[in-house]
Amino acid sequence: MPAPAQRPVRTSPTRPRIGVVKLASCDGCQLTLLDLEDELLAIAERVDIVEFAEATSNRSSGPFDILFVEGSVSTPEQADEIIKLRAATTTLVTIGACATSGGIQALRNWTDHDAVRSMVYPDPSYVESLATATPVADHVSVDLELRGCPISPDQLRELVTAVLVGRRPMLPDEAVCAECKRRGIVCVAVADGLTCLGPVTRTGCGALCPAYGRGCYGCFGPRESANAPGLAGWLVQDRPPAEVARSFALFNAWSPAFRAVIDASGGPPGPIDRATIPETSDA
Amino acid sequence: MHDAVIAPGGTDLTIDVRNLTRVEGEGSLHLRVRDGMVESAHLEIFEAPRYFERLVVGRTMDEVIDIVARICGICPVAYQMTAVHAAEAAFGVTVDPATVALRRLLYCGEWIESHALHLYLLHLPDLLGKPSALDLVRDHRAVVEGGLRLKRAGNAIVARIGGRAIHPVSVRVGGFSRVLTRDEIGSLRDDLVEAQRLADATIDLVADLRPPTFRREARLVALRSPDDYPMNHGRIVADDGLDIPVDAWESMFVERQVPWSHALQALGRDGRPYQLGPAARVTLDADRLHPRATAALRRLDLGDRIAREPHWSFAARAVELVHAVAEAIDIVDAYRPPTEASVPWQPRAGSAAWATEAPRGLLFQRFELDDAGHVVNARIVPPTSQNQAAIEADLAAFAPTILDRPRDEATHLLEQLIRSYDPCISCATHFLDLQVEVLP
Amino acid sequence: MIDARTSIPPSRQAFLPRDGLGRLFTALQADGREVIGPTVRDGAIVYEPLDDATALPYGVAARSEPGRYRLETGDPERAFDYGVGLTPWKRVTFPPVVPLTTTVDDEPGLVQAVVPHRRAVALIGVRACELAAIATQDRVLRAGPAGDVDHAARQSGTLVVAVECAAALSTCFCTSMGTGPEVEDGADIVLSEVDGGFTVRARTPDGERVVDGLSLPAAGDEPVAQATAQVAAVRAAIGDPLPTDGLADRLRANPDHPRWAEVAERCLACTNCTLVCPTCFCTSVTVASDLDGVAASTERTWDSCFTLGFGRIAGDANFRPKVADRYRQWLTHKFSTWWDQFGSSGCVGCGRCITWCPVGIDVREELLAIAGPTEPVGPIPWPIAPADGHAPAPLATVAPARYATVHVSAVRRETADTITLRLATADTGLLASRPGQFVMVAQAAQTVPPISISRIRPDGLELTVRNVGPATAALTSLGPGARLSVRGPFGRPWPVESAQGGDVVIVGGGIGLAPLRPVIDAIMRERHRYRALYVYLGARTPRDRLFVDEVQAIAGRTDLEVAEIVDRAGPEWFGRVGVVTQLLDQATWTGERTTAFICGPDRMMQATARAIAARGVAVDRTWVTLERNMACGVGLCGHCQLGPYFVCRDGPVFSLAELGDTFTVEGR
Repeated sequence: MPAPAQRPVRTSPTRPRIGVVKLASCDGCQLTLLDLEDELLAIAERVDIVEFAEATSNRSSGPFDILFVEGSVSTPEQADEIIKLRAATTTLVTIGACATSGGIQALRNWTDHDAVRSMVYPDPSYVESLATATPVADHVSVDLELRGCPISPDQLRELVTAVLVGRRPMLPDEAVCAECKRRGIVCVAVADGLTCLGPVTRTGCGALCPAYGRGCYGCFGPRESANAPGLAGWLVQDRPPAEVARSFALFNAWSPAFRAVIDASGGPPGPIDRATIPETSDA
Repeated sequence: MHDAVIAPGGTDLTIDVRNLTRVEGEGSLHLRVRDGMVESAHLEIFEAPRYFERLVVGRTMDEVIDIVARICGICPVAYQMTAVHAAEAAFGVTVDPATVALRRLLYCGEWIESHALHLYLLHLPDLLGKPSALDLVRDHRAVVEGGLRLKRAGNAIVARIGGRAIHPVSVRVGGFSRVLTRDEIGSLRDDLVEAQRLADATIDLVADLRPPTFRREARLVALRSPDDYPMNHGRIVADDGLDIPVDAWESMFVERQVPWSHALQALGRDGRPYQLGPAARVTLDADRLHPRATAALRRLDLGDRIAREPHWSFAARAVELVHAVAEAIDIVDAYRPPTEASVPWQPRAGSAAWATEAPRGLLFQRFELDDAGHVVNARIVPPTSQNQAAIEADLAAFAPTILDRPRDEATHLLEQLIRSYDPCISCATHFLDLQVEVLP
Repeated sequence: MIDARTSIPPSRQAFLPRDGLGRLFTALQADGREVIGPTVRDGAIVYEPLDDATALPYGVAARSEPGRYRLETGDPERAFDYGVGLTPWKRVTFPPVVPLTTTVDDEPGLVQAVVPHRRAVALIGVRACELAAIATQDRVLRAGPAGDVDHAARQSGTLVVAVECAAALSTCFCTSMGTGPEVEDGADIVLSEVDGGFTVRARTPDGERVVDGLSLPAAGDEPVAQATAQVAAVRAAIGDPLPTDGLADRLRANPDHPRWAEVAERCLACTNCTLVCPTCFCTSVTVASDLDGVAASTERTWDSCFTLGFGRIAGDANFRPKVADRYRQWLTHKFSTWWDQFGSSGCVGCGRCITWCPVGIDVREELLAIAGPTEPVGPIPWPIAPADGHAPAPLATVAPARYATVHVSAVRRETADTITLRLATADTGLLASRPGQFVMVAQAAQTVPPISISRIRPDGLELTVRNVGPATAALTSLGPGARLSVRGPFGRPWPVESAQGGDVVIVGGGIGLAPLRPVIDAIMRERHRYRALYVYLGARTPRDRLFVDEVQAIAGRTDLEVAEIVDRAGPEWFGRVGVVTQLLDQATWTGERTTAFICGPDRMMQATARAIAARGVAVDRTWVTLERNMACGVGLCGHCQLGPYFVCRDGPVFSLAELGDTFTVEGR
């Protein structure tokens, strides 16, 4: 992946220049910054927010000490833009499932793109988009990532605080199960037989779905050492493979760990282009 | 600094604002004036398309509820509410009255969060002449803090019912994923009482605001229900007498593609643009407002301006803030949990259309479903797509009245007009870049 | 209280009629206690605070299989017919999150330990296996130089009402682990649920006081006989699913069994087994702070040896990267090395890890496959030692983790990324530090790293710190006058005196020279007690050499030999280039009477150990000091486990004889 040889040196140790930009996304992750209602003004007093189109008419194209990037790379312009932004940034932080793994729109990576365009738009020739929606790290080097669809306000607060204080942010990479058990939630997989991706999904949500009586649907993407095939192998004992593929084929479908299970289970739901599934998979 | 170019010379002019700010998503304004006449006014939406209509094909309606939320981070509840009601219409599901109440409370939460965000953080800087709400803090700290607290109260409702403020997880076909206890809902009350004070203060705030002057007649469209202010259900009505069920949307409105936009534009069958959103609702459904909101609207005495002057949209939002908070308190107080989180249901083949009132206006969805209840075909028409043509018509009408102003100021006024619609561009592309061009 | 039990003969049994259970609740509450017991929530039995006896799970039975749990309809008259609940009682005595430290209001930068509050609770419905688990965890958390004060406070406020099992789950194996189903010890009151009510046995003075207050009639023969028959039936139903004779030895003798890799394909390393385990005690420390890093706090949270982060050490290296390694660590610790550490098995046979494994892995099956009676036994590393030295300390002696304030009196730059802090203190504990020991150094809003003591002075300590992350970056930027909060000293020191009368070889690589410097100091103070002294030092580059002046000074002496080597030389270096073992290769001494002290990166120590062994130095006189992810420093957090050892408490200094092959095999 093309990474600039040199990065700008942080401009000020005390007031970092912060930018927030978006690629293909729903804006929910950058909105999370505005959702830090209690700390937003205090943070704004300690940093210079130089680029954040959703919140301010002040604009900047860099340099950035910290740049939060939301969204996946889905158009030729975005592919060019992210390389320029990387070159102007000291610490590039991808925020959310779109930026870290492609997002829900990466489901189109399994399809014939032209067919999809003509399905939504009467005249697809006006619409510029790439055949795939891909994570930022496929294009430039990334320094930190905040997972989630959307990201967690607590993790965003922790990251900003850690940067300001000069410590490593506490962003655990373990499974959702760990937080689920600490919270004393009754396991919805074992006690209810629900499909729950918690064991292979990174923590950060506070075991939200199990706390609300649902199986985890993987919006924080694969955890470290995600044994997604191991979980799929258990699930498939009493479900058809297509149902297993369905469960993994959501907001982090294009992450390598989840993608492998989807491919091995015959691909995501809906009409897909079989040619997108690698031959090695035993679908 | 705006990336704006205004051509030199008399009355030929191009205004080109790339990357409109303080709107949700990416778009531009492109305005071309020749001989003092507006030749074209385009709201260009270059937000990358994400093909949601295709992404939901093959999915169950419970999955659709999770997926369509991702169209918009500001109004995910609107997408979920429309989809869940469409699903229940398709499958013939009647939900528990407590579920009906809780869904309305959830929607109130999103209205409060979205309206407070737009009014205080996105629109107010225009009205007070600052680039952002963060720049308002020096002179108006208490105002900004109040707006943030109001927004927080809305988020707290969504997070309590749905687990988190953005992309909540609990909405399911037939009800919710679990029963919310009376204590869980009741504990929202203290913050809502505070929010009620802040909503009242918002009325005081907007009473003193003086936006730019621009008056026109627009076709206003909103839902209207027999018994309450429109959110989750109603018939589609307009100030010209239109009154149709929601599933007749396609018979009265059309979507068209324009070369300058990734968002399809919606128009009336007669080719006329129409306006959705708080101004339309406050105008068409004034008699359905909560008594506290009715009193606020009467105190402001801005009903006529809300209906005819798009720059005054914030007043409609302020009234709806009062409404949503008051109604939320009523629902919290009356809440009794259902015995089961969700009623049982079976999928069946069919087609169902539904519309609800998103914070930005009427949101229409239609799904064709197969025997397993999987989506075969989908149509999603967000409010911003529908408002797009109205915004362009307003730009074309407003521009000639301000072309004598210094260019920066003219550009800013045009941007402000767009912002007054609270366009949600991520929604629409599934949308903004402002460009004004004056030709030699 | 649990720790002050005196056995009261079981013959004196009273009878509590079924409708009298409410009175027991009232009596416990009147005693100022919150009652915690079983109830139904979200389709499972969980242990939660209960207002009254009506919240108990009357008429609920449970069915438990690997990876599957369902509630079923049971006898409506019975409240305790469900086996064991999801919740381990450690939630009460060892909660998932406990505050550890806060910053001190008027003392910027300093931290203080949070004083735990004792809370009076009564646990009702505790099973025999759970009593064993409470006792096992108590032994763990009271061991070591400083026990867990929060646990001690919670435990001391706990009154236990056991209820003997009248139904078995398919996942139960207490019979194999020798912990049940009969309730022997550990409870204040023991109930058996029989027709019409409960037989009641008060087993401690506290229990007796509660029972006496109820004015119960004596139990007749029939209920007592029914209770005995019920529990006997449970024993018979469970059988002996996991023969344990020799299991601990066979398990540790099979670290390379192919089953480890096979189970790792199924294991999701999700941590569920460890977090529902009633004895697992591993924790991590999380740091939180305000935006300015002024007000900060740390908390201790449940962690698990199944996470990647658990084996992470400085520089993002990891000593247990593979799931197979993590699974082996857990199972081997639980069923084998726990014996070395705490004199019992770590498993009580409650079966929760089987039930709540989301992919239904059954430890009984895995153990039988890896270490069943028919599995071959190779050489047994670390045959189980008697548990001497690990006996739980009496409650009163559980020492709090105390922070001393030290002043930075001088800072010396050693290399581009390394400084030496001279710390002044009058703290007698710190001043009694020994060579090879370390301290935990706390700064507001930072993690708390272990730092080796690099010199022991009459008025304080020196710490040599290399900037390898944010916490050490903050330490290396301190100036004179700064204050720090320090806990320690911790760890087993270098056995310097044991080398007296013989030759000494000291080998240091890079920052590894820091913990060896006090050894050199000690020998030089009493030089006449030692024979030859050889000091071999390696560094990445000449600029990375530590204590350059001091090394030069001793190198000029005639009563010892100093040799230095660097990996990569620059133009200013006229010395040797290569790795430190090359210095040993050219040495002329032989090692019959030699004691070696080695410290450096793992690879360097392994190579050095081989070279030292080749010179004839005995493995029990070859000493290394290990780096592990030490978070508590006192053997409580579990991060630094290595075979039977806690590196922080039993090390960090070990002889090669003690380490065996754990020193060289990755993933152990």
